Amino acid sequence: MPSNARPGGAPAPFAARGAVALGFVLALAGYLVVTQFRTEWQIRRALRIPSTQLAELAFLLRDQERGRAALESQVGELRSRMAAYEKAAAEGRTAAAKVSRDLQELRALVGITALRGPGITVELNDSTRPPRGGEDPNKTILHYSDIQGVVAELWAGGAEAMAINGERIVGTTGISCVGTTILVNTKRMAPPYVITALGEPKQLVRALRHPGGQLELLAAFGFPVKATPRELAEVPAYRGTFRLEHASLEGKE
Amino acid sequence: MWLPILGLAVGITLGFLFSVEIPLGYVKYTAIAILAAIDTTLGGLRAQLEDRFDLMIFLSGFVVNASFAALLAGIGDLLGLDIYLGAVIAFSIRIFDNIGFIRRDLIARHMKGGR
Repeated sequence: MPSNARPGGAPAPFAARGAVALGFVLALAGYLVVTQFRTEWQIRRALRIPSTQLAELAFLLRDQERGRAALESQVGELRSRMAAYEKAAAEGRTAAAKVSRDLQELRALVGITALRGPGITVELNDSTRPPRGGEDPNKTILHYSDIQGVVAELWAGGAEAMAINGERIVGTTGISCVGTTILVNTKRMAPPYVITALGEPKQLVRALRHPGGQLELLAAFGFPVKATPRELAEVPAYRGTFRLEHASLEGKE
Repeated sequence: MWLPILGLAVGITLGFLFSVEIPLGYVKYTAIAILAAIDTTLGGLRAQLEDRFDLMIFLSGFVVNASFAALLAGIGDLLGLDIYLGAVIAFSIRIFDNIGFIRRDLIARHMKGGR
């Protein structure tokens, strides 16, 4: 390359090619400076911070994104937990419905609800004949054991629920005698005794009328007995209380 | 003397006319390119003043220096180190050197011309 000649010590004009090259490089520099300036200006306008702080911003952003990812996974976890809870709640509802159905049945079985259905009524009364001379008057009146016998035969005959003179027979019912009256549950009773039993009427009548049965025996001794099948009979609810003071559930202290 | 100034004007105009947004990751390359351009310009000016301007040296110096600085910046990006700062400092030192020489050359010429 030829070096530029400097004529006569005067300030050297740039050689044309050199000037072109210099101009080209300066054009590039100017272009880049302006572009960079515009970029920086946009960054400042958009983010309100100089680009030298962008690294800090990037760090913050990454931090926030990590936090966000953590929160999102937490959301997912909570959603699945909620779904589980909802499922459990739905199951709980069906379970609750089942429990309440079971409870209803158990109430009926235990005797704390009034029941109705086909059945029979058995009417027993003291003997109408006057006691003969020297005869024990006990033989002309009904005893608690007579009532118990009839009740036992009715249970054996398939009775599902029973009441004596409107007093429901439950699992803890006792039939005993107090003086001249009979005690059922805690209620004193006097004749006539009307026993209402729910069940298949014919079967119950058959159970009572079998030879050597309680009714036959009572009739033989002159007591007026009457067994009537009923299309619809009703037994009331047990009005007493159940209390377990000494018994506890097996396996639980 | 007017041609380089015209070039600068053309570059600035182009920069305003065509809005090229520099991606954030390439800002350091732009900085190096700007520094390389300034360095080369001043180097050329100095060579001109000292009467030893060589177009080949001028252009090759610009291209090679800028490329090598860009390479350094790229390696720095890969390594996670700000190696391009070395290029920036080297360019800056050269720029100041050249400014100093240009100043002396101009003063010397002025003195000579004044006599």
